[in-house]
Amino acid sequence: MPALSSPSDVAVSLIQVAKSYGAVEVLQPFDLQVAEGEFVVLLGPSGCGKSTILKMIAGLEEASHGEIHVAGELVNYVRPRYRNVAMVFQNYALYPHMTVRENIAFPLKMSRQPRLRRAVIEERTAEAADIVDLTPYLDRKPAQLSGGQRQRVALARAIVRQPAVFLMDEPLSNLDALLRADMRTSLLDVHSRIKKATLYVTHDQIEAMTMADRVVVINAGRIQQIGQPHELYTAPANTFVAQFIGSPRMPLHSLTVSDDGALRIADATLALDAAVVLEPEATVTVGLRPSALRATDSASACFFGEARRRDYLGSDSYLEVDLGGGSSAMVRAEADTDVRPGDIVHVDAAPGAIHVFDEAGVRICGASVGQRER
Amino acid sequence: MPGTYEDETREVESSGSAARSGLPASRPAIALSYVILLVGVAIALVPFLYVVSTSLKETTSLFSYPPDWIPSPIYWGNFESLFADHPFVRWTFNTLFVAGAVTVLKLWFDTMAGYALAKMEFTGRRGVALLFLLSVAIPISALIIPLFFVVRYLGLLNTYWALILPPLANPLGIFMARSFIVGIPDNLEDSARLDGASEFTIYRKIVLPLIRPGLVVLGMFTFMLQYTSFIWPLIAVQDSERQVLAVGISGLQSAFLQDWGLLSAAMLLAAIPITLVFLLVQKAFVVNDLSGALKE
Repeated sequence: MPALSSPSDVAVSLIQVAKSYGAVEVLQPFDLQVAEGEFVVLLGPSGCGKSTILKMIAGLEEASHGEIHVAGELVNYVRPRYRNVAMVFQNYALYPHMTVRENIAFPLKMSRQPRLRRAVIEERTAEAADIVDLTPYLDRKPAQLSGGQRQRVALARAIVRQPAVFLMDEPLSNLDALLRADMRTSLLDVHSRIKKATLYVTHDQIEAMTMADRVVVINAGRIQQIGQPHELYTAPANTFVAQFIGSPRMPLHSLTVSDDGALRIADATLALDAAVVLEPEATVTVGLRPSALRATDSASACFFGEARRRDYLGSDSYLEVDLGGGSSAMVRAEADTDVRPGDIVHVDAAPGAIHVFDEAGVRICGASVGQRER
Repeated sequence: MPGTYEDETREVESSGSAARSGLPASRPAIALSYVILLVGVAIALVPFLYVVSTSLKETTSLFSYPPDWIPSPIYWGNFESLFADHPFVRWTFNTLFVAGAVTVLKLWFDTMAGYALAKMEFTGRRGVALLFLLSVAIPISALIIPLFFVVRYLGLLNTYWALILPPLANPLGIFMARSFIVGIPDNLEDSARLDGASEFTIYRKIVLPLIRPGLVVLGMFTFMLQYTSFIWPLIAVQDSERQVLAVGISGLQSAFLQDWGLLSAAMLLAAIPITLVFLLVQKAFVVNDLSGALKE
């Protein structure tokens, strides 16, 4: 991740930005800085306010509060066309009556700079088309292109402007899975070539984890956590992030701390990773990361229980295991495991498998299995 | 031998084609539909042919019985009289000029107003739209007298302005334009806005090309309405040099004399320009095509 060493490295800076429509607060005040060349993904469920952030940066929505800086300049009251940002929309937003060439050249023709010469426009259009492999299609209309090609036209139209910041609003969400994977690679390839700050909105955690330098997790208008993909996965700030990141979803269990301050799940006592003392009788939430739990033959495993269900995923299988005491876990197993529902399964927990959250859902620390009673 | 191979093939083919058409081929039903269509065509065409026939006859021979459908000999006097005794060319020019000017100006104003009402946020937008809507409900007959006084006060009576300006205030076109523009996805304008286009450029380069088929309909509608407009031109213009066709032609008849031949010739000629205009623009009547703009 590029370091934010000096203000000149900051491409986008949002300071205490908030958005409300009348009395309805859709985004609570938050700060976010995006470095030059950084790829930041805004991740959250539909309606959480992530697209609103992009629109505020673009100037298509007005921020109700706070300051928006693009390339060091306060742009709250600057019109969209003067903000030096380019946006790729979820639904392409191509001009259907123009050819691919005209679509890509449109921002240059509209340029506020001293009028660009036709030769320059043609050269830059060809260059942008080349970056996204659209050169053979320059004279086609958008209706004659496939979904992936149309999205690439939208991308080329953004590239051609040479903006300070790219804003991408779920650009791949309507492509089929195969094409999406290809386009993900193409996007990253383009990003590595042009190295501009990019804010990318998605609700797809795989997209976020694979593409981002940093991910901003948002829920219900509130920033939940900002961090590198690895941080979100290994140290989720709260139960929302813990469940939103990772597949299968992390199951959560509400547990009561025993009188002696120990925390037990099924027959195992947990050892907290940090020097935290839990109050006796306090209620905490424990999450078990499915991918870090593994079915094993060893009788000295951390947990054991009865398999209830098996989900075959091709590369792995996941077993739902009843740990007893009302707790259950999703456990990773070999794809061709011969465990069937009803079998007893021993479960090993790798470091980072167990997360402890307080009553409000905020992460306290990680934990490991300290001791088993049976 | 019951059924050769060829017979079977023919049967299969015929049943196949019946299945493909999806309709049972009932000859009497087809014949009946043709008869009904022919009656319809006759109802539409006979009066027109009668006008053609009348225009080529002397008025004195019009009332012979049985009527002669095909004039013999063909009499061109009605047409000659139109051009020799009446300023028919001038009327035609006036009508085309006024209808053309109103159409162009109306398309321009209506689409701009429609764009503002459809896409721009401003205080009182709903109020303005409501006011326009209410004014559509006021009948022209209720407006004519106040309009006459306004135009007279402005000193515009007997001028082209008197014929061109009042129709521009008809808000129906604004609503039509607004309904075309509302259908254009907001993302297209947002995208153009970010690409550096001004509101006027968005209107001109994005919105207008996308609503072209709608504009053709609105343009034709406005042109035809204006071409056949009668009451207001009758009141606003007395000068024969500024007269439009509808008023001029109605003046060809008097209380004591109905020169049907002359009237028919005038009506026939008056129908030619508008038919030509219609033929010229009919290619533009195509479905509004937004395909490819957005993700389906």
